[in-house]
Amino acid sequence: MEKVCVLGAGSTKYGKLSESIADITTQASVSAIESAGIEPKEIKASYISNVFGVADKQVHIGPVLMSRLGIPDKPSLTIESACGSGSVSFREAYANVAAGFYDCLVVTGVEKVTHTGTEWTTTYFAYCSDFFYEGQAGASFPGLFASMARAYLTEFDATEEDFAAVAVKNHDNGFLNPKAHMQKKITVDDVMKSAVVASPLKLYDCCPFSDGASSVILCSEKFAKEHGGDYIEVIGSGRGGSPAALQGREHLTTIPSTKLAAADAYKMAGVTAKDIDFAEVHDCFTIAEVVDTEDLGFFDKGQGIQAVREGRTKLNSDISINPSGGLKSKGHPIGATGVGQVVEVYDQLTGRAGERTVKDAKIGLTHNFGATGASCAVHVFQSV
Amino acid sequence: MTIEEQLIEYAKQGKLLTHKCTKCGYLHLSTAYYCLKCGSKGFEDVILDGTGTVATYTIITVAPAGFEKYTPYAFVVLNLDNVELRISGFMPNIATPADLPVGTKARISGFDERGILIEKQ
Repeated sequence: MEKVCVLGAGSTKYGKLSESIADITTQASVSAIESAGIEPKEIKASYISNVFGVADKQVHIGPVLMSRLGIPDKPSLTIESACGSGSVSFREAYANVAAGFYDCLVVTGVEKVTHTGTEWTTTYFAYCSDFFYEGQAGASFPGLFASMARAYLTEFDATEEDFAAVAVKNHDNGFLNPKAHMQKKITVDDVMKSAVVASPLKLYDCCPFSDGASSVILCSEKFAKEHGGDYIEVIGSGRGGSPAALQGREHLTTIPSTKLAAADAYKMAGVTAKDIDFAEVHDCFTIAEVVDTEDLGFFDKGQGIQAVREGRTKLNSDISINPSGGLKSKGHPIGATGVGQVVEVYDQLTGRAGERTVKDAKIGLTHNFGATGASCAVHVFQSV
Repeated sequence: MTIEEQLIEYAKQGKLLTHKCTKCGYLHLSTAYYCLKCGSKGFEDVILDGTGTVATYTIITVAPAGFEKYTPYAFVVLNLDNVELRISGFMPNIATPADLPVGTKARISGFDERGILIEKQ
């Protein structure tokens, strides 16, 4: 297998964007191309992740992007895997470079939904569940994660204020990220007083619906060395699955696909959870980050909440979790999120993260899943 | 009738259609086509009473389209009695967590445009 590297990365701002989905897809891709110092003609193919292109009247975005980049003859592929689309797309691109099919790809994730409003997004996102059992019975995504939160509160020594502390921490990080959708600090009190969406989760336990696009240039090590720019190496890649509906899970506070994906990624990278300096994890809701940090092996089961309480996941503490601000503060344009996590790791490991830099970081991890973790991908990266 | 249609007909009678693997005996919801444990495709129907206890739940106040008129309502995951199997569904008229402590006895009570319906026993 070829060694695979990330040679460049870029994102639009996340938030409510006025430009079209094609426009933001292109903007992010161009910023990644310029960051890599390459010409579009060196790109052999594109991998696009997107879920609700139909909302902005543009599906089959790949050829539109390639046309705008001046390379309409190059192939493209669009991948949908709910909120995990970006990391799955990254994985497929990774596999193709590793196998030697291509030496340089652009991987771009995008979403444009905020113009549709809360009811549309709540309704359509629920189509990512096991609809016969969940969406059809009125379960929203906040509702499904709230069900996990209720189970966690029942099983372990945790409070709603503890969950709120996750949101406060991620907003502290996102405050330092100029691309963040919600670049503002909040307090535990703000979270506790925000409107209940699906008890026990309140508005500030939930990530926002965001527009945005993120892009990376993925290439062989040989290609990266020839081009001479800053690059990082992908040293581990893993995927996993879980029963689609919560009712089918052995434990209601564990996401099996995370454990499977992490085990594969750690094994390939030759590392353990202890070796990870920082991680961008899928914190679509505060409960999710707590569960993720346990399933990824950073903390024992039931101890993730204690780690939050003790501040052990803050920036430059024991393990910096979501230095970008995470989905919670940076925002969650669902097709872009998994790629955006890689952008953050690239920025962190190449000295581009500014005030939110994780000091002396050498190894970063991305963790991104679809729906309630029915599909998941984990990647491990190393500075060179 | 398809598997989903059969499940719906039983749910309307307050029952749950399940599939027991004829090879290893593992019990599944009837939408399983292959055994989770042994991979076999042979199943026999087992009709359960649809009773159980609340494993977890949420009370939804921001609802998907079509459910606004029912808020607040609960989405419930039920541990079925006497088997290692759960079923989830819609429970109307739940306003606060005090209305539905984890462990509350509940049962399947029907099926309509809100999917599988669950009520307190």
